[in-house]
Amino acid sequence: MQINYISSLGSKEKEFAQLIKDNQGLIIKVSRLYTNSLEDEEDLFQEIVLQLWRSYGSFKGNSKISTWMYRVALNTAITLFRKKSKSPLTNELDINLKDFVEDDDEKQQQISLLYTVIKTLPNIERAIVMMYLDDLPYKDIAENLGITEVNARVKMNRLKKTLKEKMEKYA
Amino acid sequence: MPEFDLDSFKKTWQQQPVQEKYDNTEILQMLNKKSRNYVKYIFWISVVELLFFSGIGLFYIIKGDESNSFLRLLERLGAQKTPEIIANFDTIYFAIKLLSLLVTAYFVFKFYQNYHKIKIEENLKGFITRIIKFKKTVNAFILISIAILLVFIMTFTAFIFYALNSQNIEPKSSDLMIVIAIIIVSTILCVLLIWLYYKLVYGIIIRKLDKNLKQLKDIDSHKI
Repeated sequence: MQINYISSLGSKEKEFAQLIKDNQGLIIKVSRLYTNSLEDEEDLFQEIVLQLWRSYGSFKGNSKISTWMYRVALNTAITLFRKKSKSPLTNELDINLKDFVEDDDEKQQQISLLYTVIKTLPNIERAIVMMYLDDLPYKDIAENLGITEVNARVKMNRLKKTLKEKMEKYA
Repeated sequence: MPEFDLDSFKKTWQQQPVQEKYDNTEILQMLNKKSRNYVKYIFWISVVELLFFSGIGLFYIIKGDESNSFLRLLERLGAQKTPEIIANFDTIYFAIKLLSLLVTAYFVFKFYQNYHKIKIEENLKGFITRIIKFKKTVNAFILISIAILLVFIMTFTAFIFYALNSQNIEPKSSDLMIVIAIIIVSTILCVLLIWLYYKLVYGIIIRKLDKNLKQLKDIDSHKI
């Protein structure tokens, strides 16, 4: 019995590693959005990979891989970093301009600025914005966060205004 | 900066260059990390145990209190503290202490080996095999520790009878009953305490390892 499952693990683990490798951009983005240092970012990345591995066995393919990954990654990030810190970047005065000032490329500067601004939002709102930017349908956003689709839309509309104000303020 | 519109920013966001940080091997290492830590904790706990019990053992060997109190018990039962009895007792006491320390040292070595073998680059298949092996080592350590305690108690009980017999002494049956009752009760208590200690200290870590193991087993039984 043990030998059976051990011998069949090789392909599963490789499959999982490949899946993470192919989608690590998503995990990196979540990790970056919910941490304030490179060290924390790497810790969160590893924690997300572990949680994904834990739920990998029960993932039956009813939803898209990216939706499932978002759900696990965001839940991990929100749960872990709610416990760990009071998130200093939620205070707007703490915005670290170094993040984007050092980037030469204009687009890169904008992205860095957007990260910084999104980080000023509460945890759930950060998740909504991120999924919205990555083009997840409202249905999936709502499902991942355990809210209604209508609620997700309303929140996102408000967030668009908030983000616009903040971006224009800090640009 | 032109007027900001989040929707027009989607494309830039989605196309942002995200540098790949980890390759497949590094990703698999992450899965092993926690379990490796559990194995490491068990190794360090066993090292602390070895140092603690070696320290206590040495302390009593130097001070000789334990043997004195045992010899006092013999005197209470009417036996004489002859040089032969003292020498025999000291030999047995030293042998059992040494055995106990050697066994603990052996297991510290085994735990270290287990910890050392779980190398970063090892694959999950090998890792699970090690967890199973490691659990067996921990269980063997617990059972052998209890067995040594029982040997310890049985040897000293036998020694009491040997000492009384060699001096042709028949203790009062009430005294003998009390001694036997104390031995039985203290044996049960000691076994229970040791069992409880190992179940609490090692049990918590083993449960976490079990959880990891179960997840790995689940992967085999679920289809994506």
